[in-house]
Amino acid sequence: MVIDLDRCTGCAACEVACKSENNLATVSPEQAEMGRAMSWMKVISEVEGEFPNSTLQFFPRPCMHCDNPPCVKVCPVSATYLGEDGIVGQIYARCIGCRYCANACPYTVKYFNWYGPEWSESELQHLNPDVSVRPKGVIEKCTFCHHRLQKAKEDARAEGRELREEDFQPACAEICPTRAIIFGDLDDPTHRVATLKDDPRSMRLMEELGTEPKVYYLRSRA
Amino acid sequence: MPATGEGNGKPGLTRREFVWTMGAAAAAYGLQDLPDENGIFWSPEPKVELGWAPGLEEFRTSTCLICPSRCGIRGRLVDGRLVRVVGNQLHPLSRGGVCPRGIAGLQMVYHPERISGPMVAEGARGGGNWRGVSRDEALTLLTERLRASRTVAGPESLALVAGYCAGSMQALWHQFLRSYGSPNYVADDYADGTDCVMGLMHGIRRRPAYDLEQASLVLSFGAPLFESWWSPLQAYVAFGGSDEDGGQRPRFIQVDARFSRTAARTQEWVGVKPGTHSVLALGIAYVLIRNDLHDADFLSRHVAGFEDAVDGAGATTEGYRSLVLRNYRTEEVSAVTGVPVERITALARAFGSSPAPVAVCGADVTQAPNGLQAGMAVHSLNLLLGRVNRPGGVIFGKDPPLAPLASPVLDDAARAGLTSQPVAGPGPAFGTGDVASRFARAVAAGDGRVENLLLYYADPLASSVHPEAWRAALARIPFVVSFSPYLDETTRHADLVLPDLVSFERWQDAPSPASYPYPVWGVAQPLVEPQVDGIATGDAVLAVASRLGGSVAQSLAYPSFEELLKERAKGLFEIRRGMLFASEFEGRHHRQMEERGWWLREHDEFEEFWEDLVDRGGWTDLFHDFTDPAGIAQTPDGLIDLMPEELTRALVANGLDRTPYIGLTGDDAVPPADFPLRLMPYRVSTLASGTLSLERWLAEVPGLFPETLWYPWVEVHPDTVRTLGLEEDTMVWISSSRGRMRARLKVFPGTAPGNVCVPYRLQHPDGELANPLQLLDGPTDPLTGLAPWFTTFVRLDQVGAVD
Ligand code: SF4
Ligand code: SF4
Repeated sequence: MVIDLDRCTGCAACEVACKSENNLATVSPEQAEMGRAMSWMKVISEVEGEFPNSTLQFFPRPCMHCDNPPCVKVCPVSATYLGEDGIVGQIYARCIGCRYCANACPYTVKYFNWYGPEWSESELQHLNPDVSVRPKGVIEKCTFCHHRLQKAKEDARAEGRELREEDFQPACAEICPTRAIIFGDLDDPTHRVATLKDDPRSMRLMEELGTEPKVYYLRSRA
Repeated sequence: MPATGEGNGKPGLTRREFVWTMGAAAAAYGLQDLPDENGIFWSPEPKVELGWAPGLEEFRTSTCLICPSRCGIRGRLVDGRLVRVVGNQLHPLSRGGVCPRGIAGLQMVYHPERISGPMVAEGARGGGNWRGVSRDEALTLLTERLRASRTVAGPESLALVAGYCAGSMQALWHQFLRSYGSPNYVADDYADGTDCVMGLMHGIRRRPAYDLEQASLVLSFGAPLFESWWSPLQAYVAFGGSDEDGGQRPRFIQVDARFSRTAARTQEWVGVKPGTHSVLALGIAYVLIRNDLHDADFLSRHVAGFEDAVDGAGATTEGYRSLVLRNYRTEEVSAVTGVPVERITALARAFGSSPAPVAVCGADVTQAPNGLQAGMAVHSLNLLLGRVNRPGGVIFGKDPPLAPLASPVLDDAARAGLTSQPVAGPGPAFGTGDVASRFARAVAAGDGRVENLLLYYADPLASSVHPEAWRAALARIPFVVSFSPYLDETTRHADLVLPDLVSFERWQDAPSPASYPYPVWGVAQPLVEPQVDGIATGDAVLAVASRLGGSVAQSLAYPSFEELLKERAKGLFEIRRGMLFASEFEGRHHRQMEERGWWLREHDEFEEFWEDLVDRGGWTDLFHDFTDPAGIAQTPDGLIDLMPEELTRALVANGLDRTPYIGLTGDDAVPPADFPLRLMPYRVSTLASGTLSLERWLAEVPGLFPETLWYPWVEVHPDTVRTLGLEEDTMVWISSSRGRMRARLKVFPGTAPGNVCVPYRLQHPDGELANPLQLLDGPTDPLTGLAPWFTTFVRLDQVGAVD
């Protein structure tokens, strides 16, 4: 994934699209106060300087899907793993809720379900049937909309062809009104991300930790 | 699903209780099998129940009706349930983008707080006791009431307060009121005075549209482009640029008195003192004229009032050029606006030398004192550079060429009613002003004519600048009907509630917003079955009209609102221009054809055309005739007027300085000792349309503060917080001479010291309203009739310390 910070307006469409696609539960206002709100994709903002010289940077922050993921190493039950397709997965049924991984993640993108999700009878209707809701006591995080990848792969197989770039887009990239989020296979030279990751504006968060994140940011021009 | 309003619309319940006690139905997806208390250390495999099968997936095109932008959407349905809202790539304005509100619109459809069916107040109105009635009973009740009042009290006894509604819903209401005989259409929408600016200068009473996508430089004066503008999506699409033409993107510069999200994300932010946007504009004009950067050719051919005028008697009236050169010297402008001299010069040079610049005027400009002239000052930059009716400039949009409704049939009663004075009384010198407040005040002051009040997308008790007038007015009106799908503040005081179906459930048309240069006619078709026993208000109006019979029924002889839309679409079918929504590539092709005078017929039959129109989302015409002089001015002499006579007359009549562009000094009032801070209300993007924040997902989306979830807040500079001895993250009272509200204190270095910025109108989780407009205490502008937003001073006190 490549995120062009020069295009991001901080509208948070990606954030809400993710909540909708992945059935994210909402915690109560008090729990939110305690930092327990969950947002697999989160638009982080950093303000610098005082009026009238303030500047601000938005960082839409999903899971970095590290090639060398610290969270995977600490999980005692292999509930979190690096898949063959490069996506860091999370098996809810295996998770014992020890939260080691959440603490190990330098990007703080792993969320713990302190409570079970609360949906009213009517709200259950709008849940996405492709994604399971998470019970109390497990860790959850961005999956790059892995369920979409599976579906796209099946469709491609059924049609007897290779997976194309446009076949698989996560919900955030699909919705972004300024097309700041670009998604594809970093290893496939025909995909836009493969070129963009080598752009002079390209950088990764906390690269020095050796996590090898698969999310690249293009620095703002202005 | 409960059949009627009984039980669900419990007015005693606050939003919080609804959300947090009606929830907890964790019934689906095998969750009921999970251990509740000790589940932390294990979780069983998810269960797939017997007979489970993958759902039937379907995508349907529609239009989001949540804000004026009217973006194209597609709903993903699984087994008839709406599970996702995505963008419609073919929509010319939104191009596949959707904002958070559109996405979270799902939570409006399936919200537990929806009123479940028509209901009637039992006992004292506002007491919170409701009786569910059938749709038929409700319609009969309303019809009988209207019939009786029409004969006894006269048709002027009916009034409608309508929030933003464009297109056929608005046309329908007008037709209904006209044929009934009521002059009381009370608009409670987004009057911002920009249409008056255009009317005065161009003779075209229409809000200006901006061709942002083709502009090279967008200089926005307080327009909340990325937040609550007419169409944030239009701004996003322009900001993102096209991938096709080499990634060309306009440069955006934001002039704002507040470090807004727009200011933060445009390439440059120019921080000004509140209310001084127009002074900066004229300071830029000064540099442009001084350095001969203006378009002398355009000015001489199309603009009056630029040069001094000498009348028959030899007396000279100063023109715009002299006025600006004499009054807006860079040093003086710098002192008033707080923008350094070099910065003003650089801005002017950037604007003057850019190939296709455009100056956008936001409501922050026209809501300042002297708002009308302030708006003219900003727009004059476009005139100086000849940026009217040009690609990338200001364009006067056109309405889609729909077939009009049949002309209303008026009986004697209707004719008599229509000649009566509207209750709201005469408007301000220009435009309509705040009709809703005038209406409420007139009723409160004793105009007893109104017997029946209809509320359509209007919740004045929560949103108005004058809620106290509304409270008094409501107490005097015998019968109040609300069409709101939710039990909002004003609906609680209704006698009858006929809940509308929400966006994604009803048929509606969706013309493009005022800011978009091309005519667009989006169609909203229902994506899901209604989740409650409501009735689409369009259908309710038609049903009442038909039951009333006589001329009202004759004027509105449509079997359903869907049929009405279809009838109107025949105008598009027959016009021989434009196209149904199509890809960007096809759109360009179409435009090129039309430029050459060609037009390709795509459909022979209207039925096919209609089906395709609904399926693709709408109709548009991307061809604009840049050579048509009527696109520049429609004044008697065909010239744009920089110094309109009409304005001078109005200024004199109101005892003001008769020279336009003078006296734009901002508000240099010294704050009174007990109210030391200037209040700056603003609209947040997640709430721009002013509806209640009902969606939980949106309550978790940040303003500029990711940590601000759920609670209304106030932004204050760190020094101010220190001086006042307040503490971050605590609740404070914000008080003005008129009242007070609670908000959470947020330290924000982007706010100028001495100002406090308060989002317009959030709600506390317990339902308490937080509407900063109720604190405004400035006098209404005599020319525009609007309340100034930035002239109120307030005080902050720790909650608890002063109660
Ligand atoms: S949707 Fe796009 S523009 Fe909006 S916050 Fe996310 S990345 Fe930024
Ligand atoms: S900008 Fe307005 S119309 Fe567009 S998706 Fe958002 S709420 Fe809907």
